[in-house]
Amino acid sequence: MIEIRDLHKSFGPLAVLKGVDLAVEHGQVMVIIGPSGSGKTTLLRCFNLLETPDKGSLTLNTIKLDFTPGAKIPQRTVLSLRQQTGMVFQSYNLFPHMTAIGNVMEGQITVQKRSKDEARSKALALLDKVGLADKADAYPHQLSGGQQQRVAIARAMAVSPEVLLFDEPTSALDPELVGEVLKVIKQLAREGMTMVIVTHEMKFAADVADRIILMDNGVILEQGTPREVLEQTKNPRALQFLNRLSGEE
Amino acid sequence: MMDDRQIQIFLDSLLPLFKAGVAFTLPLALVSFILGLLLAVITALARLSSWRLPRLIARFYVWVIRGTPLLVQLFIIFYGLPAAGIVLDPFIAAVIGFTLSVGAYSSEIVRAAILSIHKGQWEAAFSVGMSRKQALRRVILPQAARVSVPPLSNSFISLVKDTSLAASITYVEIFRKAQQIVATSYEPLLLYCEAALFYLLFCSVLSALQNYLEKRLDRYSAS
Repeated sequence: MIEIRDLHKSFGPLAVLKGVDLAVEHGQVMVIIGPSGSGKTTLLRCFNLLETPDKGSLTLNTIKLDFTPGAKIPQRTVLSLRQQTGMVFQSYNLFPHMTAIGNVMEGQITVQKRSKDEARSKALALLDKVGLADKADAYPHQLSGGQQQRVAIARAMAVSPEVLLFDEPTSALDPELVGEVLKVIKQLAREGMTMVIVTHEMKFAADVADRIILMDNGVILEQGTPREVLEQTKNPRALQFLNRLSGEE
Repeated sequence: MMDDRQIQIFLDSLLPLFKAGVAFTLPLALVSFILGLLLAVITALARLSSWRLPRLIARFYVWVIRGTPLLVQLFIIFYGLPAAGIVLDPFIAAVIGFTLSVGAYSSEIVRAAILSIHKGQWEAAFSVGMSRKQALRRVILPQAARVSVPPLSNSFISLVKDTSLAASITYVEIFRKAQQIVATSYEPLLLYCEAALFYLLFCSVLSALQNYLEKRLDRYSAS
């Protein structure tokens, strides 16, 4: 469903992605792990073109994009790609001037041109799904971090995306609030939502992932099932990273 | 300190000065401010545009207006333009002058407010499929408006005082009304102080309104 070939991205002289290939199947949960600065967030942001790759190609269903340095992707293509993806950010990025339900309705009304009533009932159903139906009229600053992130998940789901992208969704949360967000994500996984998740939560990754990608220094070091990557890898760099993590726990 | 004649002049001038304020100073300030704000938003967006030409035009406009005295601009518009065949009513000339001024100065406020909105807000808007225009209208500008209420209120209060410059192009607002009364009463100290009191009164009311507005907009600012 999603295919990425030979993806390159540099920020000035700094090469962040140095030729990444991967494929995500429909209904699959792919988790990207790796040390800070390995390029995993940049890779994720290429999926919905928040970053424009310098080279390589990206295919999402019928949309196929080839990147060449300096060439612009037509705005219409960018928008239609983004309408098929939803993203959940590390720092939630809810719209602070709208209520929870307003946040979930916004994309439906502005982008998908749904009627207010339709958007409202869909938003309510989604808030109910993330366990926040009773907070529909609260403003973001009245919600805890975990609640904000669950609203953000509902917002990302509201435009009926083909794939949900998570950028370290629990990194900004207090430890006691991590569980409630992970629970929602697991629930979505069970329902067959296609997801790509960047995370530092190894236990969660092992739990939820169909495939794990371990990135280091702009390339994919290892990829496979959680078992293959987390337990059976022979790659010395991968082992070093995994050992350091288990040392922390 | 004040003799009976002065007290009488003071009292007799209250109503004319108040009327000049309500019927001339405030309308001039309000109309110029609203038009000026529109111009400011357009100018700010032009300065943030990814195209070069709008950026250049906006910068040129701000450069010219900020680099020349408002009084000189008003003289050019009212006394200068007739030489080019353009004769304007004092009110219209004043509105043009003050609008241009508000547009230039406030565009910097609006621009700073737009830039102050966290990049994550743009990205969140993009992530649900919004275009730049939609993100600006639905997500960025409403938040920027909230940020710019205090500095814009200050601009408006300054503008109310600056309208006294319109006296020099024969627009009979508070200050010119005071000048007219001085011409017959020969009481400059009394009348100019009385005019100052009216400006103080109007500006105090506006400050109170500003506080009220900021409090009302505070409901989501805790984040």
